[in-house]
Amino acid sequence: MDMYAAIKHGESLGADYVEIRHENLTKSIIELRDGVFHTLTERKMYGYGVRVLVNGAWGFTSTSDGLKEAVEEAYRLAQAASRAIRNKIALAEVPTVKDRVRTPMRERPGFVPLEEKIEHLRKIEKLVKKEDFVKSSVIRYEDGTGTARLLTSEGTEIEWDPDYLLQSVWLTGIDGPLRGAARSTYGSVDEGWETFEHFTPESLAENLVRKLKNQMHGVPVKRGEYPIVAGPIVVGIIAHEALGHLAEADLTMNTPFSEKIGEQIAPEFVNMSDRIVERGFGNAKYDHEGVPVRDVHIIENGVLKEIMLNREYAKKWDMEPNGHARAESYSNPPIIRMRNTVFEPGEHSFEELIEDIKFGYYLVDFRGGQAELNSSFQVGVQEGYVIENGELGAPIKDTSISGIAIEVLKNIDALGKDFDIEYGICGKGQNAFVSSGGPHMKIKKSITIGGEK
Amino acid sequence: MNLIRYGEKFFDELEIQKIWKNEVSSSVELNQISSASSERIERTVIRGVKDGKAGIYLVDSTKDEDILKGIEKAAMIAKVNDPDPHWPGLPEAQSYRADTLEVPEQKSPEHFVNILSSVLKEVKLKDPKAMVVGGESGGAWLRTEILNSNGVSVEQNDFTSFFVLVMIGRQGAQVTPSIFDIDVSKTHEVDTKRVVDSCIKKIKVANTVKKAELREAPVLMEPFALSELLMFALFPAFNGEREVKGTSVLAGKEGESIMSKKVSIYDDPLNPNAVSHVIADDEGVATRKTSLVEHGVMRGFLWNHYWASIAGRESTGNGLRSFRTGAMSIGAHNMVVAPGTRSLEDIISDMKKGYIVSSYQGAHSSNPDTGDFAVVANPAFVVEDGEIVGSTVFMLSGNVYDIMNNVAEVSKELRSVYMGMLGKGQYPAIKFENLKIAPVSR
Repeated sequence: MDMYAAIKHGESLGADYVEIRHENLTKSIIELRDGVFHTLTERKMYGYGVRVLVNGAWGFTSTSDGLKEAVEEAYRLAQAASRAIRNKIALAEVPTVKDRVRTPMRERPGFVPLEEKIEHLRKIEKLVKKEDFVKSSVIRYEDGTGTARLLTSEGTEIEWDPDYLLQSVWLTGIDGPLRGAARSTYGSVDEGWETFEHFTPESLAENLVRKLKNQMHGVPVKRGEYPIVAGPIVVGIIAHEALGHLAEADLTMNTPFSEKIGEQIAPEFVNMSDRIVERGFGNAKYDHEGVPVRDVHIIENGVLKEIMLNREYAKKWDMEPNGHARAESYSNPPIIRMRNTVFEPGEHSFEELIEDIKFGYYLVDFRGGQAELNSSFQVGVQEGYVIENGELGAPIKDTSISGIAIEVLKNIDALGKDFDIEYGICGKGQNAFVSSGGPHMKIKKSITIGGEK
Repeated sequence: MNLIRYGEKFFDELEIQKIWKNEVSSSVELNQISSASSERIERTVIRGVKDGKAGIYLVDSTKDEDILKGIEKAAMIAKVNDPDPHWPGLPEAQSYRADTLEVPEQKSPEHFVNILSSVLKEVKLKDPKAMVVGGESGGAWLRTEILNSNGVSVEQNDFTSFFVLVMIGRQGAQVTPSIFDIDVSKTHEVDTKRVVDSCIKKIKVANTVKKAELREAPVLMEPFALSELLMFALFPAFNGEREVKGTSVLAGKEGESIMSKKVSIYDDPLNPNAVSHVIADDEGVATRKTSLVEHGVMRGFLWNHYWASIAGRESTGNGLRSFRTGAMSIGAHNMVVAPGTRSLEDIISDMKKGYIVSSYQGAHSSNPDTGDFAVVANPAFVVEDGEIVGSTVFMLSGNVYDIMNNVAEVSKELRSVYMGMLGKGQYPAIKFENLKIAPVSR
């Protein structure tokens, strides 16, 4: 049964809404661990995700074979859930879309010879291992090239190229008693293999080895509350973890943000958005419900203004859907996710941000982060420096920062005039490619930093 | 069709693993059941080696015709690879323990919907103000088959039923951290009552918020918090690959005391109650109980076939394969931290002033190469004179080897933890002395 017939079949069973996503991707997955390509994989990923709404309840299933049976299974699942539902789920109305979206990539990664990808990883390894203290390196590369389709019973029909590439490196450093670890992740959905013309192995190796060396020779951090200046990468993670998750509508309802929409929650000079950015890893034209992606101005002039929505939660909140329903693959239902979450730049130079800090920390790069519904957030820090009497001092050992987002927002003191983003994968039950970023940011209090001292 | 024989036309050695997974579940959002879903996975991983060059192919199918094409694809990939001078060959044929797990029949979606319906009613009855923000009831059936050209041939079945509840309490704009609990079982019987009672008890206390103090304090880590921290900060050091490369903090320390005598740790995949019950690892090597720490003394590492061969050791049957990438690694099946002798209730009642941690934010940002961590305890609770008097949030930082030398007491109760591939096991609660904490503003 083809996708059109499967949609009709779902309707004939009695489903109020039927949505089928199909993916047909070929992936390359390569892992180079200390000179050996232990993983050299091609993966054929092919299947359908079927979601139906029956009497106000969702049913979802996925299959690589047997679309008719999958529609029937999804219908049965939704029926079972609908018997227990009290407030029926409904979807905000959206215009139907018919479109074919081509990837903007110049060199789609699936057409790059495997030998070239292997050589790229070898080059990175050679560069990072120039220093004797780099005891071990793990370099992973993955890409996907193919097509994806979305069909709904409302008439939306979109086909796109879900091409991507993803690269990560982990270094372990040992020098006598000194130990450290540093990581880097880079991903792209808009630029293909040509992206490595900007993100060269040379710049990657130089940055990563510096982080590792600084961490191995870093001074222990004094635990407690100190003023910090965060660089664009850490600012991005604060935007993502501390605020972005609270502004995902399915979570917002259960957080302090739910009662603050329309209220001043930060100084007037603070603006934060989830939006399309140049080279953003979360960029897309439509979401996985077929809704056009638009910029969401989460904080505008310090006021909590908008949240990220899918069709179900747009209906619940009586708002317009804004294109944030995303599914990791055909085997997952779409849920509300961030894309590129950023603080907008201000007007200060870096020197102005640190000049009046007697003692604090400058935090440059992160390793992991996590949000909680009570607005507590955590961001792991893998590169940072002491600030003493308005000047940068010694590098610090790896640590973490934490705060209560709704308090931290009020304590943003100043924003830099620069802007940069980072690339990563957000886990919220499913993985999603995301970017986050912003300018340098000074936070005068309410950030706790962990440390052994 | 003899797939292995066909593959031998292209390779010196060949391994085929097929997986069939069927997971059915129902979910809760905003105090009501929102959906039911199923996930059916059929996947095959082919790994072939020719002249020491390995190639891997994954396909979302278990059909012979797709596997035949996959073998040819894997052969083309292997040609591009470099020869691995250390390639030890695939595991040899071996005998396995009898698979004693009785896999229950598949249940309808209604079964899981009904479990959640009853739970929602029970929560409303016991605490009308509590909000169930998430939850899931479901069962996962897993079948795998591993064949290789050395005669390995093993098929096994596993089943896990699970029940998760996530609740919050709120007073105006003040929201408690999400309070969650979980029960997992190898039958369809999950203890929903224990999970509901545990969450409701914590929600009631969590509404009273207290600020932690900047100091060193006794901290009791509940099983889930303990497993998160150990999984990211400690267990990577028991990986045999890291022993070979000298990157593990524990390299060369077998037989030495590395933590408190009160702690014993082992991987126990053959235990009938193991969250992941397997008789063979993903390369077809027979699994076994492997002692890692015995009364504080390091007893060994976990090994898969490849790294054990390089180190001149025997594989402990801990080869794990990613069904997303085909990558082979080393990992535990069912990590167990051995129980102590006193009950959790008795340990808490003897705490004069301290903290209990249910879960951490940011355990995954710990440094596996050093054991350093800086995590946020949330939800965490304040204990005064043996009573839990409120909730709090604090930063806890240190080194995992230091704190494991600072164990005051281990509870006699073990809880099963189920956090995907990395975090399956059984853990007690452990009370530590003098941990360094810093309050997070509130």
